Amino acid sequence: MALSLYLPRARGLHRLHPLTKLWLALFLFICGLALPGVLGAYAAFVALVVPLALWGAVLRPLLVAAGRVVLPFAVSLVLVQGLFWPRGTPLFGWGPLSFKLEGLLFAVRSTGRILMVVSSFLLFALTTRPDALALTLAQRGVPKSLTYILVATLQIIPRFQARAATILAAQQSRGLEIHGNLRRRVRALLPLIAPLVLGSLVDIEERAIALESRGFSRQGPKTSLLVLPDTRGQALARRLLAVASLAVVVMRLWVG
Amino acid sequence: MQRWKQDFTTLSIVMIPVAIAINIVVGQIIYALKIPLYLDSIGTVLVGVLAGPWVGALTGLLANLIWGLSGLNVTYAPFAAVAAVIGLLAGLFGEGGWFRVWWKVIVGGLITGLVAATISAPISAYVFGGVTGSGMDAVVAIFRGMGLGILPSSFAQGVSSDPLDKAITFLVVWLIVKALPRRFVARFPRAENVR
Repeated sequence: MALSLYLPRARGLHRLHPLTKLWLALFLFICGLALPGVLGAYAAFVALVVPLALWGAVLRPLLVAAGRVVLPFAVSLVLVQGLFWPRGTPLFGWGPLSFKLEGLLFAVRSTGRILMVVSSFLLFALTTRPDALALTLAQRGVPKSLTYILVATLQIIPRFQARAATILAAQQSRGLEIHGNLRRRVRALLPLIAPLVLGSLVDIEERAIALESRGFSRQGPKTSLLVLPDTRGQALARRLLAVASLAVVVMRLWVG
Repeated sequence: MQRWKQDFTTLSIVMIPVAIAINIVVGQIIYALKIPLYLDSIGTVLVGVLAGPWVGALTGLLANLIWGLSGLNVTYAPFAAVAAVIGLLAGLFGEGGWFRVWWKVIVGGLITGLVAATISAPISAYVFGGVTGSGMDAVVAIFRGMGLGILPSSFAQGVSSDPLDKAITFLVVWLIVKALPRRFVARFPRAENVR
């Protein structure tokens, strides 16, 4: 099983063509970065991401996953930019260690931006099968080698994690210390990394030969088992999303 | 141009997913060992050295985009350009023969780290408000406290971690290449880089 956040659903957002969702993710990404004001990104989140996530029935997992990523940034932003904003207006706190109004506003705005950026990718990941994305790209003329890389990467990662866990257990059983002071932990690094990397590289050659023997570098179209439904409406929606993305950027550049 | 196309052999292509997986899993090991480094571009640098700057750049770019689009580590995606430059530079240093002597390997890593810090600072400042969401933000806080702007503080944070991180990454890659069987290395398009 390939590694991804994808949650299978038989309706809603999941039914859309991967390319439509890719354009949608780009549009949301740009909205997050370019919408002005402290609350601009939050407005886009409430007005666009939440309804889309509800339609795809992935709101809860989206919020959980986004929260896990955004929270450390939010804490850092409030502490770093809130406390250490140079020449800001002190709001509350003790002497030099007080929260500044400008810093807190900046922290709120940046957190919104990060929330939108993270959500745009998560919404795509939660509702799109990675192999469907790869197939779409292949059908649109993206070189097969690129789509191979996309699919193979997601399949290899869990195998790698399992291998890393095995190596860790093996080295620990031989007395490798992975706790304690920094020097000891750094010394544990090479016995863990070297077998992982060397072992994985030796497999590469065999995989290359296996691919070649199945016509990997052969030219021309290939038959796929996965059929991706696409509609005229979606093709139009993709054009509109592209135009809207551009419009948001232009608006941002003009209005400032 | 001729050389550029020749670098993308089946072996190079097959190497890329493995390299991306190495990036991710080694990054996770570092995190589990609580070592204050990233070392999440070992695979990218390895490809750059063995298969040339363009395959290296593609590896870095795809690594971060796949992290983002699969939802595994979405905050890496905006830094895809930085990762591409790391792979590109590793390839160029390899081409220049810098992966034959250990001290040149370290210098190459330091330069790469400096370049990476320079490109990632504006991205970090604009997209992430200049923080990383990790303990490294203490550095940002110090420089903000000294009255520096968000971009310079973010750059200072990068300079205080990236050059060392990339120097160690380059050194690890050099050790790995030395440990690989010569017959295996010889199959890569840029095998002469490390001989």
